[in-house]
Amino acid sequence: MSSKPEGLESSNISCNDAPAMSSETVQRPPPPEKPAAILTRTKVIAAFWAVIIFLGFPIWWQTTSIHRARLPIQEMVNWASGKTCRPVFPLEIQFATPSLPVSDAQHLLRTTQHTLDDLNEFSAHHLRLKLLESSNIESNSPDGLRSITEDNADTVLSVRLIAQEDLTAPRSVLHSETTQLDVFYPPSQVPVPSSSNSPLSAFIAEELQRLFGEEKATIAHVLSNNNGADHQPAAVLNSLPPQIAETINKRERRSMKYAETYHLAFSLFTPGSAPSSWDIEAAIQEYLTPLLQAFSPISNFTVDTQVQLYAMFSPMTPQPEYDESQAAWTLKKEDLSAFINAAEWPLSPSIGSGPTINFILYVPAPSQSPMVVKENHATSWIIPQWGGVFLLNAPLSTSQPSNPSHLSKESLQSAFLTFSHQLLTLMGTPATPTSLPLRLQTLIRIRAASLLLSASSTMGSLARLTKSLPSIPIPASVATSVSTTLSHLSSACDQLREGRFAAALASARVAETEAERSFFEKSMVGQVYFPDEHKVAVYLPLLGPIGVPLAVGLLKELKRIIAGWKSRRSSP
Amino acid sequence: MPVDRRKALVFGAALALRLVLLLLFPSLPDLLTGRVEVSTPVNSFKRLQEGLFLYTRNISPYDGGVFHQAPILLPLFSLLPNSRDFPLPTAVFYSLIDLVNANALITISDSGQSVSSRLYSALRKDIRWDGASIAAWFLFNPFTIATCLGRPTSVLTTSGILYAVSNAVCGNSFNAMLALGFASYLSIYPALLFIPLVILCYDIQVQKAKTPSSATLFALKHFGILLASVAGLLGISALIIGDFGEFVSATYGFQLLVPDLTPNIGLWWYFFIEIFDSFREFFLGVFWLHLAGYVGGLTVRLRQQPLFIITSLLAFSPSSSHTRLMTAVMRYTFFASSALLYATLLGPAFYHLWIYAGSGNANFFYAITLVWSLGLSILLADTIFAALREEWELENPEMRGKDVRQV
Repeated sequence: MSSKPEGLESSNISCNDAPAMSSETVQRPPPPEKPAAILTRTKVIAAFWAVIIFLGFPIWWQTTSIHRARLPIQEMVNWASGKTCRPVFPLEIQFATPSLPVSDAQHLLRTTQHTLDDLNEFSAHHLRLKLLESSNIESNSPDGLRSITEDNADTVLSVRLIAQEDLTAPRSVLHSETTQLDVFYPPSQVPVPSSSNSPLSAFIAEELQRLFGEEKATIAHVLSNNNGADHQPAAVLNSLPPQIAETINKRERRSMKYAETYHLAFSLFTPGSAPSSWDIEAAIQEYLTPLLQAFSPISNFTVDTQVQLYAMFSPMTPQPEYDESQAAWTLKKEDLSAFINAAEWPLSPSIGSGPTINFILYVPAPSQSPMVVKENHATSWIIPQWGGVFLLNAPLSTSQPSNPSHLSKESLQSAFLTFSHQLLTLMGTPATPTSLPLRLQTLIRIRAASLLLSASSTMGSLARLTKSLPSIPIPASVATSVSTTLSHLSSACDQLREGRFAAALASARVAETEAERSFFEKSMVGQVYFPDEHKVAVYLPLLGPIGVPLAVGLLKELKRIIAGWKSRRSSP
Repeated sequence: MPVDRRKALVFGAALALRLVLLLLFPSLPDLLTGRVEVSTPVNSFKRLQEGLFLYTRNISPYDGGVFHQAPILLPLFSLLPNSRDFPLPTAVFYSLIDLVNANALITISDSGQSVSSRLYSALRKDIRWDGASIAAWFLFNPFTIATCLGRPTSVLTTSGILYAVSNAVCGNSFNAMLALGFASYLSIYPALLFIPLVILCYDIQVQKAKTPSSATLFALKHFGILLASVAGLLGISALIIGDFGEFVSATYGFQLLVPDLTPNIGLWWYFFIEIFDSFREFFLGVFWLHLAGYVGGLTVRLRQQPLFIITSLLAFSPSSSHTRLMTAVMRYTFFASSALLYATLLGPAFYHLWIYAGSGNANFFYAITLVWSLGLSILLADTIFAALREEWELENPEMRGKDVRQV
């Protein structure tokens, strides 16, 4: 019951007729309590305790117990240490030999495969040659080439062997828009069945090695970063010429960290009032969308654009200088890093959840046009892990020097071709070979490998975290995410082994997303810094004052019951 | 009839006072509406207007997370003209609700249940005020007037409770349950009054009909009525809103889980700002249990005076609008009244210091709300003490008027 201030006179409700009798000196014992009153008191105490026991304790148990969902710790650790999956990259290469008999073609393939296997010291990444069975039938049909290029995505490269009489040595042509390699050879160099080696097979093997050299090095680099049990990638990496390793490192430093979604921000900056509009929608549609569609297996993209007029250089930036010999305003190469006026130009660091890639189209003022980079006369440069800049020197009208007020789609073409190239670089696409589809496929394999490893190591970190912090809760959602991650990891691993790289990347993307979600689950970290002794400080201030009268009341009641029970037992 | 004339006089004067205040200070209602002392996120008139705006434009009123009140208020208030352009009809509506509440109070008071019920008859039953005085005390209470002008929707909850009680004392137990169902539908906690209210109804029924029916059956029947009335109102709400889950989580979920920590003169907001996140749910449970925990104890102890239990329980309600209800039924001791006065005067000042002037912090306002609660607790403890003393003196007539102390 509520405590009452002692000695406070009950003069409120209705006893103003009763005079204060505190001066009375005769101390009489209070009349004995009636049994009914005692019973009532017992009931009151029981009522309070019933609430505490039947409602309070369940609530306490429900809300403060730490839910730790069971995680497959051992499996997660195995993934992280690379015991479960050793990523392999069997690259299938199809051969079309329209002018060779099947037996000769098969022999050629065998010898070439043999040469390749001899050359290859990295077993995780190997090329498998396969003869296109129907090549003889389709050789005469006009759409023979189409049938080769349109086959399933698992084929990495199609090689077409074409006999050409007037050649002394074989030569090869790589189509830059498809994944097709044409090899022209003098018919005399077809290996005879008895020989185990021939110049043609050696040439083809070397050519293929060259085409996939950078990819192999990159994958070895990716795999060697993982501290797994496999030491082969590191060995492969060490055997590479240093300039290739340098190229890979440089590319990695430039490219963005992988993300599920990138935001592309195209900004038009100009120091004056013109151009104030640009045909950006059509330009993106025409020049960029095909590339973004090609990237769609790897990442998603959103596009934002803005036009900023009167965009001045920062006062700290060295101003461009006029160079008589080049007849242009020049920026020094070392000053390019200060070109972006980060303080004033509204370049938001992030739109939404993913990283933003900024592309800046800068139209110099008529008084400073044309503007180029001093050292190499370039008009564009890349800013590593951030974006790219393009200086668009708009054609000035001769009568009065002013920029056009509108930039048409055609005038944006060169800028957007440059931006596309910069985007490829920022996404970490390898520079060789010259065929864009091949490079994108290479990127798919690299991304699949790196996502597989990153998701695996996240699993390992999560396993270590949950083991080392026994007091953090593990919600059921984390367990679900972990099992999704593990199942997608193993399917990605299987798909890699079967050479289905696009599917493997799709699985690896899911695995990576789920792994990140489980690792960064918010409710897990809430109690990390909450030791048990702090709980006293949480519970006592409120529950102490409530609990003491209740506990004392219960104790008194129990004492009375026990005393009554004892006296009843002793009396008979 | 002289009493009726007095009643009419009181009612007319109260209505006139409210309208005069509105006409003299046209900005007063909007000022009061924005005051934290009057509006909480659950009953604010401003938020009701936001919900109305969305509702009249066929958008779900709970979009945007501002409106958290029962949907049945929407069609009701959309009948009234826009309160910004025509403040008078809304003011008249709220004044009428006040008069209705006062009328219910008069019914309760005139029934005499507070002094003599089935199992109990007060010693000092001749000392009581007549209904008109109580109505006057209620209607001219500054807290009541401020609430009326501030237009929180919790006055409707108050009406529901008062009507439940007034119907119960008249023996109209069915209507009492309906009214309680309405109050519980608007805000959850009036459902706690079910047990004492059923006891009250049962006592009245036993007094009237000499053949008492089974108490369990009686309670079950009335619990059924309460459930049916709440379910009916929920069904109407589902018709109004369409998305039942959204409405339940936006109204009852909001009241139960207290996600909006806008300061008011209760104590919960400060506590939940300070509490560690992982203990938030636990202490929500503790607070609601604290609210519910007294029902059992008080009901057992004060079984003979069910009306008094209801009065005491109202004091535990999380919002403060019921303060005026309590002040209508009781009288202050000096200390409690000065504490309340102190809090009333300093509360707005400290709130201003904290929110607008920036020279104070949340603790300033919280300290005042503590004093306010202290005042209320003293008042409550004192009234319970008085009731118990009364009962004790009834049992021990020879001790009447003696000084007592609690052991």
